Amino acid sequence: MNRRLSTRGRRELTKPAVYAGLVVIVALLPLFFGSPYIQHMLILTFIYIIAAVSFRTIVISGQFPLAHAAFMGIGAYLAAMASKWLGLSPWITIPLSALVTAGIGMLIGYPFSRLRALYYAMGSLFFGIGVIQIIYAGGSWTGGYSGLTGIPALLPGTISKIPYYYFFLGLALVSIIALYRIEFSRIGTNLKAIAQSHVVASSVGINESGYRILAVGVGCFFVGLAGAGYTHYNMVLSCSSFNFMATLWLVMYVLIGGINSFAGPIIGTIILIIIPEFFRDLKMFSPFVTAAILGIVVYLMPQGLVSLPQMVRSRLTERRNTKKVSHAS
Amino acid sequence: MLLEINGLTKYFGGLAAVRDFDMHIDEGELLGLIGPNGAGKTTIFNLTTGIYGPTKGKIAFDGKDIVGKKSHEIARLGIGRTFQLNPLFGNFTVLQNVSTSFHLHPRSSLLDIYFNTANYRRNEAYISEQSLEILKLVGLDKVKDELAKNLPHGYQKMLGIARALAVKPKLLLLDEPIAGMNPSEIDFTLTAIRKMQQQGITILLVEHNMKILDLCERVVVIDFGQKIAEGSPKDVRENKEVIRAYFGGERVA
Repeated sequence: MNRRLSTRGRRELTKPAVYAGLVVIVALLPLFFGSPYIQHMLILTFIYIIAAVSFRTIVISGQFPLAHAAFMGIGAYLAAMASKWLGLSPWITIPLSALVTAGIGMLIGYPFSRLRALYYAMGSLFFGIGVIQIIYAGGSWTGGYSGLTGIPALLPGTISKIPYYYFFLGLALVSIIALYRIEFSRIGTNLKAIAQSHVVASSVGINESGYRILAVGVGCFFVGLAGAGYTHYNMVLSCSSFNFMATLWLVMYVLIGGINSFAGPIIGTIILIIIPEFFRDLKMFSPFVTAAILGIVVYLMPQGLVSLPQMVRSRLTERRNTKKVSHAS
Repeated sequence: MLLEINGLTKYFGGLAAVRDFDMHIDEGELLGLIGPNGAGKTTIFNLTTGIYGPTKGKIAFDGKDIVGKKSHEIARLGIGRTFQLNPLFGNFTVLQNVSTSFHLHPRSSLLDIYFNTANYRRNEAYISEQSLEILKLVGLDKVKDELAKNLPHGYQKMLGIARALAVKPKLLLLDEPIAGMNPSEIDFTLTAIRKMQQQGITILLVEHNMKILDLCERVVVIDFGQKIAEGSPKDVRENKEVIRAYFGGERVA
Protein backbone atom coordinates (compact mmCIF):
# COMPACT_ATOMS: atom_id res chain seq x y z
CA MET A 1 0.00 0.00 0.00
CA ASN A 2 2.73 2.39 1.05
CA ARG A 3 4.77 1.60 -2.01
CA ARG A 4 1.86 2.19 -4.34
CA LEU A 5 1.26 5.58 -2.76
CA SER A 6 4.86 6.59 -3.22
CA THR A 7 4.87 5.62 -6.91
CA ARG A 8 1.73 7.64 -7.38
CA GLY A 9 3.44 10.59 -5.71
CA ARG A 10 6.43 10.18 -7.98
CA ARG A 11 4.15 10.08 -11.01
CA GLU A 12 2.59 13.37 -9.95
CA LEU A 13 6.07 14.89 -9.91
CA THR A 14 7.20 13.41 -13.22
CA LYS A 15 4.00 14.38 -15.05
CA PRO A 16 4.89 18.07 -15.61
CA ALA A 17 8.39 16.99 -16.66
CA VAL A 18 6.95 14.60 -19.25
CA TYR A 19 4.66 17.31 -20.63
CA ALA A 20 7.52 19.80 -20.83
CA GLY A 21 9.61 17.19 -22.65
CA LEU A 22 6.80 16.58 -25.16
CA VAL A 23 6.49 20.31 -25.82
CA VAL A 24 10.24 20.58 -26.42
CA ILE A 25 10.11 17.65 -28.88
CA VAL A 26 7.18 19.21 -30.74
CA ALA A 27 9.02 22.55 -30.79
CA LEU A 28 12.07 20.87 -32.37
CA LEU A 29 10.08 19.00 -35.05
CA PRO A 30 10.68 21.61 -37.81
CA LEU A 31 14.42 20.84 -37.53
CA PHE A 32 13.75 17.28 -38.66
CA PHE A 33 10.93 17.96 -41.10
CA GLY A 34 12.12 20.66 -43.49
CA SER A 35 9.37 19.97 -46.00
CA PRO A 36 6.85 22.84 -46.07
CA TYR A 37 4.10 20.32 -46.73
CA ILE A 38 4.76 18.44 -43.50
CA GLN A 39 5.04 21.73 -41.63
CA HIS A 40 1.69 22.74 -43.13
CA MET A 41 0.09 19.51 -41.90
CA LEU A 42 1.49 20.06 -38.41
CA ILE A 43 0.11 23.61 -38.35
CA LEU A 44 -3.32 22.28 -39.34
CA THR A 45 -2.99 19.70 -36.57
CA PHE A 46 -2.44 22.48 -34.00
CA ILE A 47 -5.49 24.36 -35.29
CA TYR A 48 -7.73 21.30 -35.18
CA ILE A 49 -6.45 20.32 -31.74
CA ILE A 50 -7.84 23.64 -30.44
CA ALA A 51 -11.15 22.89 -32.18
CA ALA A 52 -11.36 19.32 -30.86
CA VAL A 53 -10.42 20.15 -27.25
CA SER A 54 -12.91 23.04 -27.14
CA PHE A 55 -15.53 20.69 -28.60
CA ARG A 56 -15.06 18.43 -25.61
CA THR A 57 -15.45 21.34 -23.16
CA ILE A 58 -19.05 21.65 -24.38
CA VAL A 59 -19.48 17.86 -24.27
CA ILE A 60 -18.58 17.61 -20.57
CA SER A 61 -21.54 19.85 -19.73
CA GLY A 62 -23.82 17.18 -21.23
CA GLN A 63 -24.42 18.88 -24.57
CA PHE A 64 -23.38 17.51 -27.94
CA PRO A 65 -22.60 20.43 -30.23
CA LEU A 66 -23.08 19.57 -33.90
CA ALA A 67 -22.35 23.12 -35.03
CA HIS A 68 -18.78 23.34 -33.82
CA ALA A 69 -17.17 23.60 -37.26
CA ALA A 70 -19.79 26.23 -38.15
CA PHE A 71 -18.62 28.29 -35.17
CA MET A 72 -15.06 27.85 -36.44
CA GLY A 73 -16.40 29.24 -39.74
CA ILE A 74 -18.01 32.17 -37.93
CA GLY A 75 -14.65 33.04 -36.36
CA ALA A 76 -12.85 32.54 -39.67
CA TYR A 77 -15.23 34.63 -41.77
CA LEU A 78 -15.50 37.41 -39.15
CA ALA A 79 -11.73 37.73 -39.04
CA ALA A 80 -11.47 37.61 -42.83
CA MET A 81 -14.11 40.25 -43.38
CA ALA A 82 -12.87 42.52 -40.61
CA SER A 83 -9.36 42.55 -42.02
CA LYS A 84 -10.25 42.55 -45.72
CA TRP A 85 -13.11 45.06 -45.70
CA LEU A 86 -12.41 47.12 -42.59
CA GLY A 87 -8.63 46.98 -42.81
CA LEU A 88 -8.10 45.80 -39.21
CA SER A 89 -4.82 44.11 -38.34
CA PRO A 90 -4.94 40.30 -37.96
CA TRP A 91 -3.55 40.75 -34.46
CA ILE A 92 -6.80 42.53 -33.60
CA THR A 93 -9.20 40.48 -35.70
CA ILE A 94 -8.11 37.13 -34.19
CA PRO A 95 -9.00 37.90 -30.54
CA LEU A 96 -11.93 40.07 -31.59
CA SER A 97 -13.57 37.39 -33.75
CA ALA A 98 -13.00 34.80 -31.01
CA LEU A 99 -14.88 37.07 -28.59
CA VAL A 100 -17.71 37.73 -31.04
CA THR A 101 -17.96 34.00 -31.82
CA ALA A 102 -18.26 33.33 -28.08
CA GLY A 103 -20.96 36.01 -27.88
CA ILE A 104 -22.92 34.47 -30.75
CA GLY A 105 -22.47 31.02 -29.21
CA MET A 106 -23.85 32.20 -25.87
CA LEU A 107 -26.75 34.00 -27.54
CA ILE A 108 -27.66 30.82 -29.41
CA GLY A 109 -26.84 28.79 -26.31
CA TYR A 110 -29.48 30.62 -24.27
CA PRO A 111 -32.57 29.09 -25.93
CA PHE A 112 -30.62 25.87 -26.53
CA SER A 113 -29.69 25.56 -22.84
CA ARG A 114 -33.20 24.27 -22.28
CA LEU A 115 -32.72 21.53 -24.86
CA ARG A 116 -30.94 18.45 -23.63
CA ALA A 117 -29.00 15.57 -25.18
CA LEU A 118 -30.44 14.71 -28.60
CA TYR A 119 -32.48 17.91 -28.81
CA TYR A 120 -29.42 20.08 -28.34
CA ALA A 121 -27.56 18.05 -30.94
CA MET A 122 -30.36 18.51 -33.47
CA GLY A 123 -30.86 22.20 -32.66
CA SER A 124 -27.17 22.96 -33.07
CA LEU A 125 -26.98 20.83 -36.24
CA PHE A 126 -29.59 22.99 -37.96
CA PHE A 127 -28.01 26.17 -36.65
CA GLY A 128 -24.73 25.07 -38.25
CA ILE A 129 -26.42 24.39 -41.57
CA GLY A 130 -28.04 27.83 -41.34
CA VAL A 131 -24.67 29.50 -40.79
CA ILE A 132 -23.28 27.90 -43.95
CA GLN A 133 -26.34 29.05 -45.91
CA ILE A 134 -25.85 32.61 -44.65
CA ILE A 135 -22.21 32.54 -45.75
CA TYR A 136 -23.29 31.26 -49.18
CA ALA A 137 -25.87 34.02 -49.42
CA GLY A 138 -23.39 36.70 -48.36
CA GLY A 139 -22.52 37.67 -51.95
CA SER A 140 -19.28 39.59 -52.39
CA TRP A 141 -19.04 40.19 -48.61
CA THR A 142 -18.36 36.55 -47.87
CA GLY A 143 -17.42 35.41 -51.36
CA GLY A 144 -20.41 33.07 -51.48
CA TYR A 145 -19.83 29.76 -53.24
CA SER A 146 -16.49 30.74 -54.74
CA GLY A 147 -14.97 31.53 -51.34
CA LEU A 148 -12.99 34.49 -50.07
CA THR A 149 -9.47 35.23 -51.32
CA GLY A 150 -6.85 37.88 -50.70
CA ILE A 151 -7.19 37.83 -46.92
CA PRO A 152 -4.31 39.69 -45.21
CA ALA A 153 -1.62 37.40 -43.80
CA LEU A 154 -0.81 37.27 -40.09
CA LEU A 155 2.92 37.47 -40.80
CA PRO A 156 3.24 39.33 -44.11
CA GLY A 157 6.53 38.89 -45.93
CA THR A 158 7.41 35.46 -44.54
CA ILE A 159 7.49 32.68 -47.08
CA SER A 160 8.75 30.13 -44.57
CA LYS A 161 6.16 28.24 -42.58
CA ILE A 162 8.32 28.08 -39.47
CA PRO A 163 7.14 31.36 -37.86
CA TYR A 164 3.56 30.19 -38.37
CA TYR A 165 4.50 26.84 -36.89
CA TYR A 166 5.59 28.46 -33.63
CA PHE A 167 2.66 30.86 -33.58
CA PHE A 168 0.12 28.02 -33.80
CA LEU A 169 2.09 25.81 -31.42
CA GLY A 170 1.88 28.65 -28.90
CA LEU A 171 -1.80 29.27 -29.60
CA ALA A 172 -2.59 25.56 -29.15
CA LEU A 173 -0.61 25.38 -25.90
CA VAL A 174 -2.31 28.44 -24.42
CA SER A 175 -5.73 27.10 -25.42
CA ILE A 176 -5.02 23.63 -24.04
CA ILE A 177 -3.81 25.03 -20.70
CA ALA A 178 -6.78 27.41 -20.47
CA LEU A 179 -9.28 24.62 -21.15
CA TYR A 180 -7.47 22.18 -18.86
CA ARG A 181 -7.78 24.64 -16.00
CA ILE A 182 -11.51 24.92 -16.57
CA GLU A 183 -12.06 21.18 -16.61
CA PHE A 184 -10.01 20.45 -13.49
CA SER A 185 -11.45 23.18 -11.31
CA ARG A 186 -14.82 23.48 -9.59
CA ILE A 187 -16.18 24.87 -12.88
CA GLY A 188 -15.44 21.59 -14.66
CA THR A 189 -16.82 19.58 -11.74
CA ASN A 190 -20.05 21.57 -11.88
CA LEU A 191 -20.31 20.99 -15.64
CA LYS A 192 -19.84 17.25 -15.15
CA ALA A 193 -22.36 17.26 -12.31
CA ILE A 194 -24.94 18.91 -14.59
CA ALA A 195 -24.23 16.32 -17.28
CA GLN A 196 -24.85 13.48 -14.81
CA SER A 197 -28.06 14.86 -13.35
CA HIS A 198 -29.26 18.36 -14.01
CA VAL A 199 -32.09 17.98 -11.48
CA VAL A 200 -29.72 17.06 -8.66
CA ALA A 201 -27.23 19.75 -9.70
CA SER A 202 -29.92 22.46 -9.56
CA SER A 203 -31.09 21.17 -6.20
CA VAL A 204 -27.70 22.03 -4.67
CA GLY A 205 -27.77 25.51 -6.18
CA ILE A 206 -25.83 25.04 -9.42
CA ASN A 207 -27.31 27.27 -12.11
CA GLU A 208 -27.82 24.72 -14.86
CA SER A 209 -28.52 26.95 -17.83
CA GLY A 210 -25.90 29.47 -16.70
CA TYR A 211 -23.19 26.83 -16.64
CA ARG A 212 -24.33 25.30 -19.93
CA ILE A 213 -24.17 28.72 -21.62
CA LEU A 214 -20.75 29.28 -20.05
CA ALA A 215 -19.49 25.99 -21.50
CA VAL A 216 -20.81 26.89 -24.94
CA GLY A 217 -19.28 30.37 -24.69
CA VAL A 218 -15.86 29.01 -23.73
CA GLY A 219 -16.00 26.30 -26.43
CA CYS A 220 -17.03 28.83 -29.08
CA PHE A 221 -14.35 31.31 -27.99
CA PHE A 222 -11.58 28.81 -28.59
CA VAL A 223 -12.99 27.36 -31.79
CA GLY A 224 -13.46 30.93 -33.05
CA LEU A 225 -9.84 31.59 -32.14
CA ALA A 226 -8.78 28.53 -34.14
CA GLY A 227 -10.90 29.61 -37.11
CA ALA A 228 -9.60 33.18 -37.08
CA GLY A 229 -6.01 32.01 -36.82
CA TYR A 230 -6.57 29.62 -39.73
CA THR A 231 -7.95 32.51 -41.81
CA HIS A 232 -4.84 34.64 -41.54
CA TYR A 233 -2.59 31.67 -42.15
CA ASN A 234 -4.43 30.17 -45.14
CA MET A 235 -5.45 33.57 -46.63
CA VAL A 236 -8.18 31.80 -48.60
CA LEU A 237 -11.51 30.67 -47.16
CA SER A 238 -13.98 28.21 -48.54
CA CYS A 239 -17.33 27.62 -46.97
CA SER A 240 -17.07 23.85 -47.30
CA SER A 241 -14.28 23.78 -44.66
CA PHE A 242 -16.89 24.51 -42.01
CA ASN A 243 -19.90 22.47 -43.07
CA PHE A 244 -21.53 19.55 -41.29
CA MET A 245 -18.91 17.14 -42.65
CA ALA A 246 -16.23 19.24 -40.94
CA THR A 247 -18.11 18.98 -37.65
CA LEU A 248 -18.32 15.22 -38.11
CA TRP A 249 -14.55 15.09 -38.50
CA LEU A 250 -14.22 16.87 -35.15
CA VAL A 251 -16.61 14.33 -33.64
CA MET A 252 -14.35 11.58 -35.04
CA TYR A 253 -11.21 13.15 -33.57
CA VAL A 254 -12.87 13.30 -30.16
CA LEU A 255 -14.47 9.84 -30.26
CA ILE A 256 -11.42 8.00 -31.56
CA GLY A 257 -9.08 9.76 -29.16
CA GLY A 258 -11.39 9.19 -26.20
CA ILE A 259 -14.30 11.41 -25.24
CA ASN A 260 -13.93 10.79 -21.51
CA SER A 261 -10.40 12.03 -21.23
CA PHE A 262 -8.88 15.48 -21.62
CA ALA A 263 -6.03 14.14 -23.76
CA GLY A 264 -8.42 12.16 -25.98
CA PRO A 265 -9.21 14.86 -28.54
CA ILE A 266 -5.52 15.83 -28.79
CA ILE A 267 -4.44 12.27 -29.54
CA GLY A 268 -7.40 11.66 -31.86
CA THR A 269 -6.64 14.76 -33.90
CA ILE A 270 -2.95 13.91 -34.25
CA ILE A 271 -3.66 10.32 -35.30
CA LEU A 272 -6.45 11.15 -37.72
CA ILE A 273 -4.57 13.93 -39.47
CA ILE A 274 -1.30 12.03 -39.70
CA ILE A 275 -2.45 8.47 -40.57
CA PRO A 276 -4.24 9.53 -43.79
CA GLU A 277 -0.96 11.14 -44.92
CA PHE A 278 0.57 7.68 -45.28
CA PHE A 279 -2.24 6.68 -47.61
CA ARG A 280 -2.38 9.77 -49.78
CA ASP A 281 -2.99 7.80 -52.96
CA LEU A 282 -6.10 6.40 -51.32
CA LYS A 283 -7.40 9.80 -50.21
CA MET A 284 -10.79 9.16 -51.83
CA PHE A 285 -11.20 6.23 -49.44
CA SER A 286 -10.34 8.21 -46.31
CA PRO A 287 -13.92 8.22 -44.97
CA PHE A 288 -13.84 4.41 -45.15
CA VAL A 289 -10.47 4.24 -43.45
CA THR A 290 -11.73 6.57 -40.71
CA ALA A 291 -14.88 4.51 -40.27
CA ALA A 292 -12.74 1.38 -40.03
CA ILE A 293 -10.49 3.02 -37.40
CA LEU A 294 -13.55 4.12 -35.43
CA GLY A 295 -14.96 0.59 -35.60
CA ILE A 296 -11.74 -0.96 -34.39
CA VAL A 297 -11.28 1.59 -31.61
CA VAL A 298 -14.86 1.27 -30.37
CA TYR A 299 -14.60 -2.50 -30.42
CA LEU A 300 -11.20 -2.86 -28.77
CA MET A 301 -10.92 0.31 -26.67
CA PRO A 302 -14.27 1.84 -25.75
CA GLN A 303 -12.46 4.61 -23.87
CA GLY A 304 -10.60 5.66 -27.04
CA LEU A 305 -6.96 5.54 -28.08
CA VAL A 306 -6.00 7.40 -24.94
CA SER A 307 -6.67 4.26 -22.91
CA LEU A 308 -4.20 2.17 -24.95
CA PRO A 309 -1.18 2.44 -22.57
CA GLN A 310 -3.30 1.61 -19.55
CA MET A 311 -4.83 -1.37 -21.37
CA VAL A 312 -1.42 -2.71 -22.30
CA ARG A 313 -0.24 -2.24 -18.72
CA SER A 314 -3.20 -4.08 -17.21
CA ARG A 315 -2.82 -6.90 -19.79
CA LEU A 316 0.84 -7.26 -18.81
CA THR A 317 0.17 -7.38 -15.07
CA GLU A 318 -2.65 -9.84 -15.76
CA ARG A 319 -0.27 -12.12 -17.65
CA ARG A 320 2.41 -11.77 -14.97
CA ASN A 321 -0.12 -12.64 -12.27
CA THR A 322 -1.42 -15.69 -14.13
CA LYS A 323 2.20 -16.85 -14.57
CA LYS A 324 2.79 -16.42 -10.84
CA VAL A 325 -0.31 -18.44 -10.12
CA SER A 326 0.76 -21.26 -12.46
CA HIS A 327 4.25 -21.26 -10.89
CA ALA A 328 2.79 -21.46 -7.44
CA SER A 329 0.55 -24.38 -8.26
CA MET B 1 -43.74 29.94 9.91
CA LEU B 2 -40.88 28.74 7.76
CA LEU B 3 -42.87 27.38 4.84
CA GLU B 4 -46.43 28.30 4.01
CA ILE B 5 -48.40 26.74 1.16
CA ASN B 6 -51.80 28.16 0.26
CA GLY B 7 -54.33 26.92 -2.28
CA LEU B 8 -51.66 25.02 -4.21
CA THR B 9 -53.01 23.44 -7.39
CA LYS B 10 -51.16 21.63 -10.16
CA TYR B 11 -52.75 20.19 -13.27
CA PHE B 12 -50.89 17.81 -15.58
CA GLY B 13 -53.09 18.07 -18.64
CA GLY B 14 -56.58 17.32 -17.31
CA LEU B 15 -55.33 15.52 -14.23
CA ALA B 16 -55.20 17.42 -10.95
CA ALA B 17 -52.09 16.07 -9.20
CA VAL B 18 -52.52 18.54 -6.34
CA ARG B 19 -55.73 20.42 -5.65
CA ASP B 20 -56.28 23.38 -3.32
CA PHE B 21 -53.63 22.19 -0.90
CA ASP B 22 -52.75 24.13 2.28
CA MET B 23 -49.86 23.34 4.60
CA HIS B 24 -47.43 25.12 6.85
CA ILE B 25 -44.22 24.15 8.64
CA ASP B 26 -42.94 25.92 11.73
CA GLU B 27 -39.29 26.52 12.37
CA GLY B 28 -37.56 23.50 13.97
CA GLU B 29 -40.46 21.17 13.27
CA LEU B 30 -40.33 17.65 11.87
CA LEU B 31 -43.41 17.31 9.70
CA GLY B 32 -44.52 14.16 7.93
CA LEU B 33 -46.37 14.27 4.64
CA ILE B 34 -47.87 10.86 4.00
CA GLY B 35 -50.29 9.29 1.62
CA PRO B 36 -50.71 6.32 -0.69
CA ASN B 37 -48.81 5.97 -3.97
CA GLY B 38 -49.68 8.66 -6.49
CA ALA B 39 -51.31 10.91 -3.88
CA GLY B 40 -49.26 13.95 -4.98
CA LYS B 41 -46.55 14.04 -2.31
CA THR B 42 -43.61 14.22 -4.66
CA THR B 43 -45.46 16.77 -6.81
CA ILE B 44 -45.67 19.04 -3.76
CA PHE B 45 -41.88 18.64 -3.32
CA ASN B 46 -41.26 19.42 -6.95
CA LEU B 47 -43.49 22.48 -6.80
CA THR B 48 -41.75 23.71 -3.65
CA THR B 49 -38.29 23.29 -5.15
CA GLY B 50 -39.15 24.89 -8.48
CA ILE B 51 -38.94 21.85 -10.71
CA TYR B 52 -42.37 22.78 -12.01
CA GLY B 53 -44.46 25.89 -11.51
CA PRO B 54 -47.91 25.53 -9.90
CA THR B 55 -51.09 26.09 -11.89
CA LYS B 56 -52.43 28.15 -9.01
CA GLY B 57 -51.58 28.93 -5.40
CA LYS B 58 -48.90 30.44 -3.23
CA ILE B 59 -45.71 29.09 -1.67
CA ALA B 60 -43.84 31.32 0.75
CA PHE B 61 -40.52 30.42 2.34
CA ASP B 62 -39.27 32.54 5.23
CA GLY B 63 -41.89 35.13 4.28
CA LYS B 64 -40.72 35.33 0.65
CA ASP B 65 -42.84 34.24 -2.30
CA ILE B 66 -40.91 31.51 -4.15
CA VAL B 67 -43.37 30.69 -6.93
CA GLY B 68 -41.67 31.10 -10.32
CA LYS B 69 -38.16 30.85 -8.91
CA LYS B 70 -35.79 28.31 -10.46
CA SER B 71 -34.48 25.29 -8.57
CA HIS B 72 -31.00 26.70 -7.99
CA GLU B 73 -32.42 29.99 -6.68
CA ILE B 74 -34.60 28.11 -4.21
CA ALA B 75 -31.57 26.10 -3.06
CA ARG B 76 -29.82 29.41 -2.50
CA LEU B 77 -32.65 30.53 -0.20
CA GLY B 78 -32.00 27.49 2.01
CA ILE B 79 -34.14 24.58 0.90
CA GLY B 80 -32.29 21.31 0.46
CA ARG B 81 -33.89 18.14 -0.87
CA THR B 82 -33.35 14.50 -1.68
CA PHE B 83 -34.86 12.50 -4.50
CA GLN B 84 -36.64 9.18 -4.62
CA LEU B 85 -34.81 8.15 -7.79
CA ASN B 86 -31.45 9.20 -9.30
CA PRO B 87 -30.37 10.67 -5.99
CA LEU B 88 -26.71 11.33 -6.88
CA PHE B 89 -23.89 11.96 -9.34
CA GLY B 90 -23.10 8.32 -10.19
CA ASN B 91 -19.67 8.81 -11.74
CA PHE B 92 -18.32 10.92 -8.89
CA THR B 93 -16.89 9.44 -5.71
CA VAL B 94 -18.90 9.69 -2.51
CA LEU B 95 -16.70 12.54 -1.29
CA GLN B 96 -16.95 14.36 -4.64
CA ASN B 97 -20.74 14.08 -4.48
CA VAL B 98 -20.77 16.02 -1.23
CA SER B 99 -18.00 18.49 -2.06
CA THR B 100 -19.67 19.32 -5.40
CA SER B 101 -22.86 19.96 -3.48
CA PHE B 102 -21.02 22.61 -1.45
CA HIS B 103 -21.58 24.94 -4.36
CA LEU B 104 -23.10 27.68 -2.23
CA HIS B 105 -21.34 27.63 1.14
CA PRO B 106 -18.79 29.03 0.76
CA ARG B 107 -19.24 30.25 -2.78
CA SER B 108 -16.20 31.11 -4.89
CA SER B 109 -16.50 33.46 -7.86
CA LEU B 110 -15.72 32.11 -11.33
CA LEU B 111 -12.58 34.24 -11.47
CA ASP B 112 -11.40 33.01 -8.07
CA ILE B 113 -11.90 29.44 -9.25
CA TYR B 114 -10.23 29.95 -12.59
CA PHE B 115 -7.16 31.72 -11.24
CA ASN B 116 -6.91 29.38 -8.26
CA THR B 117 -6.65 32.29 -5.82
CA ALA B 118 -5.81 31.94 -2.14
CA ASN B 119 -9.47 32.62 -1.40
CA TYR B 120 -10.58 29.69 -3.59
CA ARG B 121 -8.00 27.32 -2.11
CA ARG B 122 -9.09 28.27 1.40
CA ASN B 123 -12.72 27.65 0.45
CA GLU B 124 -11.89 24.26 -1.05
CA ALA B 125 -9.92 23.20 2.03
CA TYR B 126 -12.87 24.17 4.22
CA ILE B 127 -15.23 22.27 1.91
CA SER B 128 -13.21 19.03 2.06
CA GLU B 129 -13.19 19.23 5.85
CA GLN B 130 -16.92 19.92 6.07
CA SER B 131 -17.73 17.20 3.52
CA LEU B 132 -15.94 14.62 5.62
CA GLU B 133 -17.84 15.77 8.69
CA ILE B 134 -21.19 15.34 6.91
CA LEU B 135 -20.12 11.90 5.65
CA LYS B 136 -19.35 10.93 9.24
CA LEU B 137 -22.82 12.09 10.31
CA VAL B 138 -24.49 9.81 7.76
CA GLY B 139 -21.97 7.01 8.30
CA LEU B 140 -20.39 7.03 4.85
CA ASP B 141 -16.87 8.21 5.73
CA LYS B 142 -15.50 4.70 5.28
CA VAL B 143 -16.60 4.51 1.64
CA LYS B 144 -15.71 8.07 0.68
CA ASP B 145 -13.54 7.06 -2.28
CA GLU B 146 -16.02 4.63 -3.84
CA LEU B 147 -17.91 5.65 -6.97
CA ALA B 148 -21.41 6.61 -5.92
CA LYS B 149 -23.03 4.32 -8.50
CA ASN B 150 -21.32 1.29 -6.94
CA LEU B 151 -22.84 1.86 -3.50
CA PRO B 152 -25.66 -0.36 -2.20
CA HIS B 153 -29.10 1.20 -2.31
CA GLY B 154 -29.30 2.17 1.36
CA TYR B 155 -25.93 3.95 1.20
CA GLN B 156 -27.02 5.79 -1.93
CA LYS B 157 -30.06 7.10 -0.07
CA MET B 158 -27.86 8.30 2.81
CA LEU B 159 -25.55 9.96 0.32
CA GLY B 160 -28.58 11.79 -1.07
CA ILE B 161 -29.20 13.17 2.42
CA ALA B 162 -25.53 14.09 2.84
CA ARG B 163 -25.68 15.96 -0.44
CA ALA B 164 -28.78 17.87 0.63
CA LEU B 165 -27.09 18.81 3.93
CA ALA B 166 -24.21 20.40 2.01
CA VAL B 167 -26.64 23.08 0.88
CA LYS B 168 -26.79 24.08 4.60
CA PRO B 169 -30.57 24.06 4.44
CA LYS B 170 -32.94 25.77 6.84
CA LEU B 171 -35.58 23.43 5.46
CA LEU B 172 -34.74 19.89 4.38
CA LEU B 173 -37.17 17.98 2.18
CA LEU B 174 -36.68 14.21 2.36
CA ASP B 175 -38.45 12.22 -0.34
CA GLU B 176 -39.04 8.67 0.94
CA PRO B 177 -35.73 8.46 2.80
CA ILE B 178 -36.28 4.90 4.02
CA ALA B 179 -37.88 3.36 0.92
CA GLY B 180 -36.13 0.11 0.01
CA MET B 181 -33.91 0.07 3.11
CA ASN B 182 -33.36 -2.92 5.35
CA PRO B 183 -34.37 -2.68 9.05
CA SER B 184 -30.90 -1.78 10.38
CA GLU B 185 -30.48 0.89 7.70
CA ILE B 186 -33.89 2.27 8.65
CA ASP B 187 -32.86 2.55 12.31
CA PHE B 188 -29.66 4.29 11.33
CA THR B 189 -31.47 6.73 9.04
CA LEU B 190 -34.09 7.58 11.63
CA THR B 191 -31.36 8.32 14.17
CA ALA B 192 -29.55 10.51 11.65
CA ILE B 193 -32.77 12.40 10.89
CA ARG B 194 -33.36 13.01 14.60
CA LYS B 195 -29.79 14.29 14.92
CA MET B 196 -30.31 16.75 12.09
CA GLN B 197 -33.44 18.06 13.72
CA GLN B 198 -31.50 18.58 16.96
CA GLN B 199 -28.99 20.62 14.97
CA GLY B 200 -31.83 23.01 14.17
CA ILE B 201 -32.83 21.90 10.67
CA THR B 202 -36.54 21.96 9.91
CA ILE B 203 -37.51 18.75 8.15
CA LEU B 204 -40.37 17.79 5.87
CA LEU B 205 -40.58 14.06 5.29
CA VAL B 206 -42.50 12.35 2.54
CA GLU B 207 -43.38 8.70 3.01
CA HIS B 208 -46.09 6.29 2.17
CA ASN B 209 -44.68 3.95 4.76
CA MET B 210 -46.72 4.56 7.95
CA LYS B 211 -43.79 3.33 10.07
CA ILE B 212 -42.13 6.73 9.94
CA LEU B 213 -45.12 8.41 11.59
CA ASP B 214 -43.79 8.06 15.13
CA LEU B 215 -40.78 10.21 14.33
CA CYS B 216 -42.95 13.19 13.44
CA GLU B 217 -44.61 15.72 15.70
CA ARG B 218 -47.32 16.49 13.21
CA VAL B 219 -48.51 14.65 10.14
CA VAL B 220 -50.35 15.81 7.04
CA VAL B 221 -52.15 13.12 5.04
CA ILE B 222 -52.82 13.61 1.35
CA ASP B 223 -54.84 11.51 -1.07
CA PHE B 224 -55.73 12.25 -4.71
CA GLY B 225 -54.00 15.61 -4.39
CA GLN B 226 -56.05 16.84 -1.44
CA LYS B 227 -55.41 17.06 2.26
CA ILE B 228 -57.60 14.53 4.06
CA ALA B 229 -56.22 14.77 7.59
CA GLU B 230 -53.77 16.63 9.81
CA GLY B 231 -52.69 16.16 13.39
CA SER B 232 -50.52 14.14 15.74
CA PRO B 233 -49.43 10.68 14.56
CA LYS B 234 -51.89 9.09 16.96
CA ASP B 235 -54.88 11.13 15.77
CA VAL B 236 -54.04 10.45 12.17
CA ARG B 237 -53.77 6.72 12.71
CA GLU B 238 -57.29 6.65 14.12
CA ASN B 239 -58.73 8.88 11.41
CA LYS B 240 -61.40 7.11 9.34
CA GLU B 241 -60.55 8.96 6.13
CA VAL B 242 -56.93 7.90 6.44
CA ILE B 243 -57.81 4.28 7.06
CA ARG B 244 -60.08 4.34 4.02
CA ALA B 245 -57.35 5.86 1.86
CA TYR B 246 -54.85 3.22 2.88
CA PHE B 247 -56.97 0.11 3.26
CA GLY B 248 -60.01 0.98 1.18
CA GLY B 249 -62.50 0.61 4.03
CA GLU B 250 -63.07 0.39 7.79
CA ARG B 251 -60.29 -1.06 9.86
CA VAL B 252 -61.02 -4.73 10.40
CA ALA B 253 -58.59 -5.74 13.11
